[in-house]
This record gives sequence, C-alpha cells and structure tokens, in this order.
Amino acid sequence: MGSDRKPIGILRFLGTNCDRDIWKAVQSVGLEPQWLWYQDRFDPEDYSGFVVPGGFSYGDYVRSGALASLAPVLGCLKEANEKGMPILGICNGFQILCESGLLPGALLKNESTRFIDKWVKLKRVNASPYFSSNEEINIPIAHGEGRFYCGESTLKELQDREQIWLRYSDNPNGSVDDIAGILNANKNVAGLMPHPERAMKKWMGTSDGYSFFASLADGGLQ
Amino acid sequence: MSLEQRLKVYRLTEAEYKKICLLLGREPKGVEWAIFSALWSEHCSYKSSKVHLKKFYNKNDRVLESFGENAGVIDLGEGERVAFKMESHNHPSFISPHQGAATGVGGILRDIFTMGARPIALANYLCFGEPKVEVMPHLVDGVVRGIADYGNCVGVPMVTGHTEFNASYNGNILVNAFALGYFGPEDRVFTSGARGIGNYVVYVGAKTGRDGVHGASMASESFDEKNEGKKPTVQIGDPFMEKLLIESCLEVMKEDLVESIQDMGAAGITSSSFEMAAKGKVGLNIDLQKVPMRQSGLTPEEILLSESQERMLLMCTPEKFARLKEIFNRWDLDAEVIGEVIEGSQIKIHWGAELLTELNPVDVVDHAPEYKRQYSEYKSVNKREKIAPSKFDKFTFRAAENINLCSRDWIFNQYDQRVGASTAADCSQSVGVVELPHSGRPLGIALGCRPPMMRTDIQLGAYDAIAYPSLQLSSKGLQPLAVTDCLNFGNPEKPELMTEFVASVEALSKACEAFDTPVISGNVSLYNETLDKNVTSTPATGVVGLGHSMEKVPKDEFCVEGERAFLLRCELWSGNFYSADAYNFPVEFTGDWDKEKVTQFAKDLQEYVNEFGPSTSNVVGKMGALFELMTMSQSGFSVHLDKPLADSMCAERLYEVIVTAKSGDEFKSFWQKRNVEYFDLGKVMAEPLKVDGNLVDAHWTSEPFHKQLGLE
Repeated sequence: MGSDRKPIGILRFLGTNCDRDIWKAVQSVGLEPQWLWYQDRFDPEDYSGFVVPGGFSYGDYVRSGALASLAPVLGCLKEANEKGMPILGICNGFQILCESGLLPGALLKNESTRFIDKWVKLKRVNASPYFSSNEEINIPIAHGEGRFYCGESTLKELQDREQIWLRYSDNPNGSVDDIAGILNANKNVAGLMPHPERAMKKWMGTSDGYSFFASLADGGLQ
Repeated sequence: MSLEQRLKVYRLTEAEYKKICLLLGREPKGVEWAIFSALWSEHCSYKSSKVHLKKFYNKNDRVLESFGENAGVIDLGEGERVAFKMESHNHPSFISPHQGAATGVGGILRDIFTMGARPIALANYLCFGEPKVEVMPHLVDGVVRGIADYGNCVGVPMVTGHTEFNASYNGNILVNAFALGYFGPEDRVFTSGARGIGNYVVYVGAKTGRDGVHGASMASESFDEKNEGKKPTVQIGDPFMEKLLIESCLEVMKEDLVESIQDMGAAGITSSSFEMAAKGKVGLNIDLQKVPMRQSGLTPEEILLSESQERMLLMCTPEKFARLKEIFNRWDLDAEVIGEVIEGSQIKIHWGAELLTELNPVDVVDHAPEYKRQYSEYKSVNKREKIAPSKFDKFTFRAAENINLCSRDWIFNQYDQRVGASTAADCSQSVGVVELPHSGRPLGIALGCRPPMMRTDIQLGAYDAIAYPSLQLSSKGLQPLAVTDCLNFGNPEKPELMTEFVASVEALSKACEAFDTPVISGNVSLYNETLDKNVTSTPATGVVGLGHSMEKVPKDEFCVEGERAFLLRCELWSGNFYSADAYNFPVEFTGDWDKEKVTQFAKDLQEYVNEFGPSTSNVVGKMGALFELMTMSQSGFSVHLDKPLADSMCAERLYEVIVTAKSGDEFKSFWQKRNVEYFDLGKVMAEPLKVDGNLVDAHWTSEPFHKQLGLE
C-alpha cells in the first residue's frame, strides 16, 4: 500500500456534500486525505493526486459546477493537470471539471427532469491509467443534472482518442452515446457521474467502487 | 381597530385576551399583540394537547434529553448518541407543496444540528388524497420535488418513507419529516437555555425577510375556500444556505464557542428568544434594528414574526465572538450581535433607541393557556367477538386501480439515499439502516401508523403505530430503542376528535412502555380539517433501533437460492384493513392487544436473526401474507411453494413475518420452544412465483403508481 505516498488533495467548495465520503474512501485504501478549501492556493508537488467530490457546490445555482469552476483552488488544479497528475471528478466534481475546461462536454438536466438515485451497471470502454476499475461495474448514481452532452465533432474525438471511460448499460438520463465517464486526452483527468465512494463494502450494495481509489494508492497502473 | 377586529387578526380568543391583561396588569400594546399571538398559537404552545402529552412514557436509562429541547437524545453506548425528531409541515405543503415540503425538511434538520448532532438520516411520512382529485397530482409532484430539492442539496440521505392515499386527505394532506443526527464520543450535546449575564445574543444565518409572517398562527387554523390568500405565510427555503449553516454551526460548537443555541423556527426570533430566556431564567436586551435584513422597510412586528428560514439564535461570551464571527464569515454567513443576556427576568425589545416592550418570558411561554378540551372514553365500534377475515381472490389484486398497493419507487428514486456513504438499507426496504461512524454498528429507522388501521379502530391503530415498526426493526435483528411522533389530528374543539386524540396518546404510550421505547420528541398538528371534514386521525411515528453487525442485516426480498422460507405468526388481531379499502369489505376486526406476546415475539425475532443470519426477513404488511410474498418475489427469487396456498395467506393478520433459514432444522428447533406458530413454505429458488401451479406476475406493483397520478 502507498502509506509513504504524498497525500491526496480533496477539494471543498461551499455546498460540497460528498467531501467527507471521499475522505473515508481515500483513508480506506491507506492514503492520507487532505482538504483543499476553495480559496486555497497550493503547490501540486505536495500531493500525489486530487479528487473533486460531488454534491451541490454553491447549491447548483447558475448551473451545476459553474461557480466552483471560478474558485482560486481551480487555478492550482490546472497547474497539477499540466504536470500530468491524476485528477478524479465525481458527480458534481465531474461537472466542475467540464465547466473549468479540464474535461470536454457538459452535463445537462436529466431527460426526465427529475433527480435520479439508483444502482446502474457500467461497462468500462477504455482504461484509465490511474483510476482502475473492473470491466463490469455496479455502483449508484444520484444526480439531477447528469446527462452528458457534447457536439458531434467532440464526440468523434472522444471516440477516436479512446477517451470514453465508462458507459451505462441502460442509459438512465439521456447521456450522449450512453456516456457515464470520460478521460482527458492525456488520460490523467477522469470524470464520472456515478459514485464509487458509495460502493466500497458489500453491505453498501457492492464493493465495485473500491478499485477506483485503491489504484491511486498503487500509484496508478501505468 | 376595534378589539374584536384585533382579536381576529391576531387569532386570540376573548378569554385569552383577558388572561394577557391579567398577566401584564394592563392592556397589551404594539408588538405585544404579535408576540402573544405567535407564542400562544396552538402550533407553539400545544395548548390543546399539552395536558395529554404529559402522559407519554418518556424516560428510561438511555434517554439523555426528551421534550423541552429541540430534539430528544438517546445514549447508544460506546460513546455514541443520536438526536431525532419528527415534525409536520401539513398546512404550508397544502398551500404551496414544493416550498412547504422543502422547508419542512429544513426545519427538522435545524432541530437536530442545533443540538450539536450531525444529521445523518432523513425519513418522511406522507398522506395524500385520492389520485382522481384534481389538485392531487400537483401536490404529490410538488411535495416530492420539494423534499428532494432540499434533502439532496444539503446532503443528508433519505433512508425510509411511508406514503398513503385516502379520501380523508383530499382537502388536507400530511407532510411529516423525520431527521436523525449523530454525536461521536468527542461531541457535546448543546441545549437552548440562555445563560451567562453579559453574554452576547448572536443572530446567525440567512437575512430576515417578510416570508412566513404569521405562519405559526396560520398552521393553527382550519382551511376554508380562501387558502390561496395564505400563500405569503409560507416560508421560502434555501438548502444551500442550510448546508453552510450546518457546517458552520458544527464547527463553532466543536471549537466550544457557543453557550446555548436554538433555531428560529415557527414564530422566528420571537419564539427562540422568549423560549431561550424562559428556559434559562434570565433576561435579554434585544435591538431589532441590528437584525440582518434582506429588504428595507420591515416593521418591528414583521421582524418578530418572520419565519425566514436558515437562521439560528445563539449566545456566546464576548471574548469568543471574534473567532465565532470569523468562522461564520468563512462559510459566507452573517453573524451579528443583536443583544445581550441581562439580569432579571425581562425581555426588553428595542427598535434603536426606542423601547418597544418589556415582557417577562415566563408569562408568555410558561403561562400560555392550557386547555382541557372535552372528550369521552373511546369505544370500539368495529370490534367483533369473532370474525372470519374476508378472504380475497388471490388473482384479482386491484393494484392497477388501488394506488395503496403500488410500489413507491417512483417517489424514492428522486431522493439521494446514499450520500454519507453509510446507507446499508435504502427506501426500497421496510427499515432504513445506516452505519454508525464510530462503532460501525447498524442503526435502523422504521416509520409507523397505518391509516387503514386507524380507521378501523383508534386503539388498535395506535398500538400498531408502535408495534409494527418495532417488529420491522426486530425482523432486521435491531432492538427498538426510542420513538418520536407526529400527531396529526383534526379540530380539537370537537369532542369526538379529542376523544380519538386522547385514546391514541394513551394507546401509543402503553405500547411504548411495553417495548420500553420511550417517546423522546415529537410534534402535534391539529386543525387538519377543511370545510369541516377531518383527516383520518394519524399519529405517525418514527422508531429507532440498534443492531450489532452491518453484514447481518437481512433483506426484505428473497435473494439467496436454497434457503428455506417460513411464515411466523404471532396473532393479536385479524380483520379487514387495507383490504377494506381495496375491496369494500366490511370494516371489522377481532382480537386484543397482548403486550407480553408481542414484545416476546420481537425479542425472539432479534435473537433468531442475530444468531442464524437469515438472508431474508420481513414483516407482512398490507393485504396479508400472499401479497407480501409477491412483493418479496420481485427480485428474481421466490419461494417454490410446497403445498396449495392456505386461505389464511389471503387475509390480514397482525402480526406475521416471512423469514428464511439456512437450515430448516435449526429454524424449527429455535421456534418450537417459543409461543409462535410457524408454517414451512418451501425453498427459495431463482424462479418467478407460482401459486397453486399458476405463474404470478408481481411486476404490476411498481408500474401503475405514477400513471394513476398522470405524472411522468
């Protein structure tokens, strides 16, 4: 395990509500979590990776993720990206990464216009070098604005450059091409709508989420 | 304004007016009218119910706080404690379903974190009218979206719910919200009594606006045709603000910067300041001009009565204020000193230099009227010496026509049930279960009160409101520990209604004593009537239970092939309840409350589940054992029934449990020694349910719900 590794930075914005869950998940794989407050500036070299948690930053006002993407801490996260460091965005974290340009596309209101909480089956399309996962994954979603959308040319790029990370087996929200998660071109930044931190132990439903964090402790799969 | 007009505006009776004059030694003046109006409303003063609420079984060794604080607190051992409470938001939700339901969630959460507990679970109990009533789809949709918007955004998981439909709620729906908060070994329980002469009175949270003015007295009135005009009395909620308030309040409490604290709920700043002062037996100096305001032009009376949401009142020592303010500001919230704790027993309310009033809080709070409303002894009218419960034809369940038989997944899939990453059993299960952070033990929440039982017999229904959720917890291997309740009744000025209220309280209390589950918190909602029609008397309950192992909590549904399924029967009553609604069977029942029998059954169930770890264990609910078997078989697994179906499986008997066993012999040797009947049903198989050779398609239980309401 990676107990000698540098800590994992967990970003916290006003209204973030999955921050403590990510803290627990990071600890459970033997890594040290550390808070990064939205007004903080930090040196990427002090960390071994970053997680942007889910949960209604700024109450989803304006547009989910829009206000968080303007926070000072994002400037440093972009520097971390330039250094190719691993960054994982979950749910609202995925929305924030899209809004700040670290990932392409956008997340729109679910087709049903309702919030959806349920277990979904995912298929891994392309592997992420840092955030491993099984080929078939059963973890829950919980979102009102989770419909991944991008233009045709972007979609083609995502397909051609093997940036589609995860697809829904049964599309719950109307996402383009059944997309549940994507990678950036460098593959160091990953975003997904479902919540791996809510599937860490069998009593939660499944433990399929564990590998998303465990691989960070191993320093990525390379 | 004439006296008569004034009494009408402030919703006070002439006798109450005379009592005020007597207490003050003079006529009330200026803002005093508003203060008495709010604090002497039914909603704030419990003036019709207080005398009966004192009868509740409400203490044992586990109880750390019960009535008197914002929520009750019980000790779970291992340094862990939980606070929980349930509250109604019926009137606002009928007027404005989205905001009414949302602020109901916000209000109950504040009752929890104001004690210093981190909210870790929500639940909701809803009663709607018939789907065909024109406004009902709008109400269902609005209430569900309101609860979802608020709960999902603040990030507290919804772990269980109960939803009923009946014509008695056509003109007055019920929206009851439950919240539970957690104290770890390091956390202190905070209380509300003001203390420390010279301490600052600090206002924190959202700014004050005009919303919710006169809300408390509105909630204490019956509805008529003119409900539209009541919209401005409904509060507007902001869950983002609430989330900031939760985090900042818990942070200042952790740093020990707070002396006492209370949320501003019904009657806003008036109730919190008067109640805190009355409890602490001190005086307060308050300047209303220092209250952070959202808009200009607010009058002192509007500030006093505003029910703007997401606000708290706290006291802190002057030295600690700077640090306290810094923390609130970091969370982008206001924290302003609006007064101080003073010697004596007077609250002095100022408007800048002008003294508006000087009142003794004890006069206002503790001397509020207490009514002994007229009632008589309850007489069961539907009880028979003996009946054969009506048996329904097993293949004609009227689910497509009867919304009470449909699955509620359309509702609960809109709630975040897993934020917090500690949910073991979500709303699809009969008991919501979360993991306690420090000890890793399972904590369960089950809601009680089944309106069809209440309509059949008030006493039976009230016993059932405790016994049924307690057995549900026991079926999961959890020991029921304590109860919160939300007593939704009609007009207490009608003796027949008051009779039902008193009979309910007495039966609830007896059942609580039998299970040793004290009532530690709750709320009374009266005047649930529209144009003279009362709702079904509905004493909703929330029962909390504790277990040993997260891995051992059985599921409701069949899930492991090869286990053997049994039906356990501990019969107290049988009769027509849900089947009376669904089939127009005669409303009748037979049987009696038997405290020894039912509590021993609960203990035996807990022991069986904990010792043998069955994969499936579920109390039979509406419509009897066959209906339950069908819903338990929607998982892809079912019981291969060995024998033709017994007639008794198509009738309602309280209580039955369907449970599996890894070994049939172990099961039999355990239960043979006990005073419980059991029936061997058959083996669990990965196949659809067949009854007497015919395939039963149980899938309809989930489909028709939203279609009946015409909702997408």
